[in-house]
Amino acid sequence: MRLQATDAAAERAGLYRSQNLSDARALCPGLVAREMDGEYLSALFGSLADWHAYASPIVSIFPGTFIPDIRTSFGDLLLDVTGVSHLFGGNRQMLAHVSGRLERAGFTAQGAMAQSIGGAWALARFDPGKIVEAEDLKTCLAPLPVSALRLDEKLVFGLEQMGLKTIGSLYGRNRKALRARFGDRLIERLNQALGYLEERLVPRLPVPERQSERRLAEPIVLERDILMVVNDLAIRLCAQLEKEGMGAQSFHLLLFRIDCQLMYLAVNAARPVRAPDHIARLFVNRIKRLAGEFDAGFGIEAIRLTAGSVSQLDAHQSGVFELVDGAKDLERLYDRMAARLGPKAILRSRPVNSHLPERAVVLEPVIAGTGDDADALISFEDGEPATKAALALPARPLRLLPVPEQISVMAEVPDGPPVRMVWRRLSYRLLKAAGPERIGVEWWQPGAGTLTRDYYRVEDKAGRRFWIFREGLYGSESNDPRWFMHGFDP
Amino acid sequence: MQVVDRRQAIARLRTQIEGIEKRSFPEVRQAQSRPYIIRAPDEKFAPAPAGLLHEVWSDEVRNSGAAFGFALGQARALLGRSRPAILFLQLAHEAQQTGLPYGPGLCHFGLCPEALIIGRVRNVTELLWAAEEAAGCKAVAAIIVDIIHPGKILDFTASRRLAMRAGRGKASVFLLRYGREREAGASHLRWRVAPVSSMEALFDARAPGCPRWQVCLEKGQGMVSDMLGQMRWVLNWTENGFALEQAVGTDKAGKAGVGPALSGPVPTALGYGLSETA
Repeated sequence: MRLQATDAAAERAGLYRSQNLSDARALCPGLVAREMDGEYLSALFGSLADWHAYASPIVSIFPGTFIPDIRTSFGDLLLDVTGVSHLFGGNRQMLAHVSGRLERAGFTAQGAMAQSIGGAWALARFDPGKIVEAEDLKTCLAPLPVSALRLDEKLVFGLEQMGLKTIGSLYGRNRKALRARFGDRLIERLNQALGYLEERLVPRLPVPERQSERRLAEPIVLERDILMVVNDLAIRLCAQLEKEGMGAQSFHLLLFRIDCQLMYLAVNAARPVRAPDHIARLFVNRIKRLAGEFDAGFGIEAIRLTAGSVSQLDAHQSGVFELVDGAKDLERLYDRMAARLGPKAILRSRPVNSHLPERAVVLEPVIAGTGDDADALISFEDGEPATKAALALPARPLRLLPVPEQISVMAEVPDGPPVRMVWRRLSYRLLKAAGPERIGVEWWQPGAGTLTRDYYRVEDKAGRRFWIFREGLYGSESNDPRWFMHGFDP
Repeated sequence: MQVVDRRQAIARLRTQIEGIEKRSFPEVRQAQSRPYIIRAPDEKFAPAPAGLLHEVWSDEVRNSGAAFGFALGQARALLGRSRPAILFLQLAHEAQQTGLPYGPGLCHFGLCPEALIIGRVRNVTELLWAAEEAAGCKAVAAIIVDIIHPGKILDFTASRRLAMRAGRGKASVFLLRYGREREAGASHLRWRVAPVSSMEALFDARAPGCPRWQVCLEKGQGMVSDMLGQMRWVLNWTENGFALEQAVGTDKAGKAGVGPALSGPVPTALGYGLSETA
């Protein structure tokens, strides 16, 4: 086991990164070492990155690079400050503010600002605290080592072998020769650093279209207080939307915790809405779903409500003689339920063009999923929608087992209807049977299996009606076909 | 006479409680003002009106098809223009035991699959929350809750809350339960459903015919208009809804709506008993 990270106190004691743990223990007998939980830490780093949404609407993480002496596991924080820095009083003040906040929270942070992502990355690593304009970028990067170009270990080693130790030494070289020897990557990174090649930031959070925010004088902790603020924000946001004649379908709640973490909650609506009570109610449900996971830490200092998928929503005049149409109420109910139970919990069956019973229907969510939860209850297969003719099927069971259960069946003749079956360790005597309904293999579909199925509707002595099938034809496809229970008739 | 006295006494006590607690019992009022009709005068089995909490018990989990069919049959009658949806709630991990509602099967049963919304929840708390939330919605006709292992959360209080919600929101709630042990609950009606051997299907003597259940009303007899009648029926499910099974062999067996499931357009045989010439 090796050390993964050291702080100033550790360095004073003579410890360094990638040192053997037993060596470190020998140097420093009282050392407390913990195993690194990479997943947890990267999630925490992600939350820290999201928290910077207070400073800029576009926050991204540049994935970790593997340069020997500056190995980063979780990546680097990137903020797009275009059109933002004036809110802090200028670039210099903004940089000081952002890194100052991190330092006050106990982090060691270094940053820089430049016109290109690559340039800012290089400066933040090797010459922190600088703010470089476009015209000075080339000269500022020149004295930095080539590893500042975000290259992998092998490439940096090769360049240093050639005596190309600084970025400046690459400027005058013949590019074709460089490309021939070191590949496209070097040229691409160099161009990106100098701002010749465009590089995109991928925002971690959806970019808000409308938003309302409240910064709190005192941090709040209680769920109830937070929801009260959310209610106020929803009223403000909806007033803004109403003025423009718009409605929104997705809403995001950003809770900025005082310990530099962000809680991000999202809800979706079935159709564009701008009713503040409905939106606030959705967030009440969404927070309830968190149950024990709701953790306000040391308090929440700012709350922001943003709206996405904004589209036109005209004002509606309610009339006396209006017929009550349930659809609107129903969609509101789906919104609330999806917010509380998760978008994949409320499903609707959609017919699909397929003969195989388990493929003939797809359960699809009533409400589109949100980005803040990835738990899938069931997987959804996609298929082309069924035509009207495909719906006119012969008798089908009312309930279908998600996975057919194997049963043992006795039939009078190999191809005949079943007479006895054992299912879930109970024996059934089958008095009536209808069938077979033969369903062939859908060879044009991937993963469709190879065996023909013969379906029977059977009824046992007590009147229970089941839907069972034999997989494989006797003789031609299988010598010992298996039987399965697939559904229940009423 | 005694019954009337007791009812008057209960009504008196209720008004006292209302005075003390400063609230009213809306669903009780409604129950008093209108008798529930389950067995209509023309000897048909009419579905129960909206706004009730039903418990539908079947003895074993393997009878889940019959229980669901009966509840769905009751729920179908409540669908309408202003209430276009039925919600089916189930614990996600219990689906393999009782099966998921199947779209083409719903078509075959006589219900548009789009009308049934399926909710797959993680625990009983969420299940009850969803049922209550939906019962308060003005656009839901019925909520069918399938629950094998309710745990301790589904107690009298929970079912009372559901009953109140159902009474106020006018959506019926059906709790599909399994087993023989009954517990205290605030349901208005408690059914026991068991499948019965079906009649012969048309043109195929060996095939199972239309669904047939034995239905027993264990609780809520007071809501049935026909007080003298038995609380046990054998029902067929036909395209026209529930059809009471008469004793086999009598002349009523061939009466309209009692036959096996009809397919396609409704034949003229339904007009049996009416004069066809005048």
